[in-house]
Amino acid sequence: MADLTTKYLGLTLRNPIIVGSSGLTDSIDNILELERAGAGAVVLKSLFEEQILIETEANLRKAYENDMIYSAKSESLDYIDLHIKEETLGHYIKLIGEVKSKAVIPVIASINCVSSVEWTSFARRVENAGADALELNIALFPSDMSADNEKTENIYFDIVSKILKQVTIPVALKIGPYFTNLAGMINRLSKTGINGLVLFNRFYSPDFDINTLTEKSANTLSNSAEATNILRWIAIMSGKVNCDLCATTGIHDGQGVIKQILAGATTVQVVSTLYKNGIGILNEIADELNKWMDDKGYNNIQQFRGMMSQGESTNPSAYERIQFMKYFSEIR
Amino acid sequence: MDSRYKLFKSKIGNSRKVNNLNHNIMEERKDFLKEERQQEWRSELRKSIKAKERTDIPRVKMLEQDPFERAKNSAEVNQGLTEDMAFKEARRCLDCADPTCISGCPVGINIPKFIKRIESGDILEAAKVLKETNALPAVCGRVCPQEVQCEINCFYVQKLKKDPVAIGFLERFAADYERNSGKMSVPEVLERNGVKVGIIGSGPSGLAVAGDMIKWGYDVTVFEALHEIGGVLKYGIPEFRLPNEVVDVEIDNLRKMGVKFEINFIVGKTATVDDLKADGFEVFFVGSGAGLPNFMNIPGENYTGIFSSNEYLTRVNLMNAADEEYDTPVFSGKKVAVIGGGNTAMDSVRTSKRLGADNSMIIYRRSIEEMPARVEEVHHAQEEGIEFMNLNSPLEYFADDKGRVRSMKLQKMRLGEPDSSGRRRPIPIEGSEYMVDVDTVIVAIGVSPNPLIPSSMPELKMSDWGTIIVNKETMESSIPGVFAGGDIVRGGATVILAMGDGRKAAAGMHEYLKKNVLKK
Repeated sequence: MADLTTKYLGLTLRNPIIVGSSGLTDSIDNILELERAGAGAVVLKSLFEEQILIETEANLRKAYENDMIYSAKSESLDYIDLHIKEETLGHYIKLIGEVKSKAVIPVIASINCVSSVEWTSFARRVENAGADALELNIALFPSDMSADNEKTENIYFDIVSKILKQVTIPVALKIGPYFTNLAGMINRLSKTGINGLVLFNRFYSPDFDINTLTEKSANTLSNSAEATNILRWIAIMSGKVNCDLCATTGIHDGQGVIKQILAGATTVQVVSTLYKNGIGILNEIADELNKWMDDKGYNNIQQFRGMMSQGESTNPSAYERIQFMKYFSEIR
Repeated sequence: MDSRYKLFKSKIGNSRKVNNLNHNIMEERKDFLKEERQQEWRSELRKSIKAKERTDIPRVKMLEQDPFERAKNSAEVNQGLTEDMAFKEARRCLDCADPTCISGCPVGINIPKFIKRIESGDILEAAKVLKETNALPAVCGRVCPQEVQCEINCFYVQKLKKDPVAIGFLERFAADYERNSGKMSVPEVLERNGVKVGIIGSGPSGLAVAGDMIKWGYDVTVFEALHEIGGVLKYGIPEFRLPNEVVDVEIDNLRKMGVKFEINFIVGKTATVDDLKADGFEVFFVGSGAGLPNFMNIPGENYTGIFSSNEYLTRVNLMNAADEEYDTPVFSGKKVAVIGGGNTAMDSVRTSKRLGADNSMIIYRRSIEEMPARVEEVHHAQEEGIEFMNLNSPLEYFADDKGRVRSMKLQKMRLGEPDSSGRRRPIPIEGSEYMVDVDTVIVAIGVSPNPLIPSSMPELKMSDWGTIIVNKETMESSIPGVFAGGDIVRGGATVILAMGDGRKAAAGMHEYLKKNVLKK
């Protein structure tokens, strides 16, 4: 049996397979089950700034509609948004405490934020509650035509800088792929003092029904073809950044995990495959990784990590090729 | 009309809806009010002055202590009306055929009748009218937000777009007159029926239940956790707004009617509801209030010198903490910041001024127009030199090497789009943070229901808000024979809404006992 132990964000994981932030990681029972099934670590379900705002609004409406709850003169009602937010955050803090008291694997808290205003002080509470690390999920969708490029990018640095001042636990940053100069951005972000970058955030995909003309979501779960873009960027950035790289999106089996590690990922995150195949797949993935390492004669992960990265490649230009000229020209 | 009247209109509509739930009672009451209005003395009085003459009289102005003087003492700010002022104001009331003012009163006071009694010079009789439906008229005359309840429904506001009849001032006048006359009337009570009723909490809702149940002949005991009767009326509202003596006289009246009070008695600890049942109590009313203060949970909030408004006001109002010679004096800060914009915030900031602060500030994240505090309280605070720092919110507190708060970081806010309440949401302005020196901070951003009683009764159904779920018409909880009202049901309400709950619960308890106990 090979040694799958991995160091990620300075934490020791029994294997590099992390269960990503999802509905699977929102309760103590689920997390303990994931631990039993072989997860190396878990990222708790994200606290979404936007979601809390929506929840606050819904509760506010409920309070106003229910004449038995509060009066217009009540100070509690006046600050109800704060109380609702506090309650939501309080549940999250409680979950961290519970998980830490019962689970052995590292627990990474996750915050999804769009501004630096609200979350910085909460990060400190996450640390005090016992989280081993914090994953910041910054999701700014570039749809604002009037937005200034530099200002938009600065939001990332601003949030990171404020969070790092608040906590001493390791911080990972999860980003999307939409940047003009992605390599430059990843490189600059890796030098901010964060301990890891998670590539990439998978955004909600809107769709609609042509018969009912109503909106719906598309491709809720990822497929393994989506992993190729991640593979490219992990391979390109491996060895060129000042922090760990974690691959996420489209990694569904042992082969997917092995590829990302070969490209240079320290760890991988899996979610969709657990929904599709059940959490028993975690053990299967670890077994497949183990078997492959045994077959190849590797005793530990360090021995092959980054072996297929751009820096180590005999054909580095392949990772930067964006056109299929030859491939398509051969198709008749 | 004050813009805040409009703001709260939706809620007022809701409270009317609640009143409508007692439809049958209201219908009977309507007929009764009609008959009363047709009595000869009222018809004569109406005819004695032309309506035009009545409506030409300007609204009376309350006598007040000089702001400079009162900021240094704890005596009552409002001094009440003189007899002449009260008679003149009572003449403004048109004694409408459809007295819309009553629909705005949660305890259903026969408003035109008591005002017309004042106009006719029979003030003791006016006080009796108040006590027909209100166990605490002198209290309500002082602390009810009449401007958004009875007065906003006054004909003057609704049809004439003029200042309403000063119903609250007149209520206080009649109640004070009676108290000072030494001829306090004790409402009639029915012969004792021996059925024991337990009331948990002696705040406004509990006292309202006690006032009605004792009249109907029940054996009423009020259990109070603290050493003083009155709940929030005593610990929460300062002397300069509601003197404890006024509350005591009204409580004493309940005592004279036969209500028994047990102080230092924590139901759930001293004895459980089951213990009391074993002692023969047939029915209970839970009015244990909302005594759990809310905080903002921002860094540094645990430093010494940062209080909840509950602690600060309770210590000053109930535990002589303003007296440095006393066992547990409260620190009298020179730079005091109060966080919040409600009546409790105003009470706290004005108390701090009276305790010798050089600079007492209100820190509120919305503008002054959005403040939930009564217009009168904001006005009084401004007169007393309170600094209003609106559109500001604290981000963090800092302490000296002894852990005592010495400064706070504030962030400026702007108003965004309206939320579901119709009020514009406060939005933080990034980069606007600045520091302010403080030595005392009082957090007055609301309270949560006291969990003690619910936790001792696990079968009690609770809402997401930590409040007891009740039948809106009877105020009965999920446990038969256990009723509830006031802040433990509402999360946070006014004194008069709590009293309204109490009256409704008393009616529900009476029905319950008639059906389940008295019938046997």
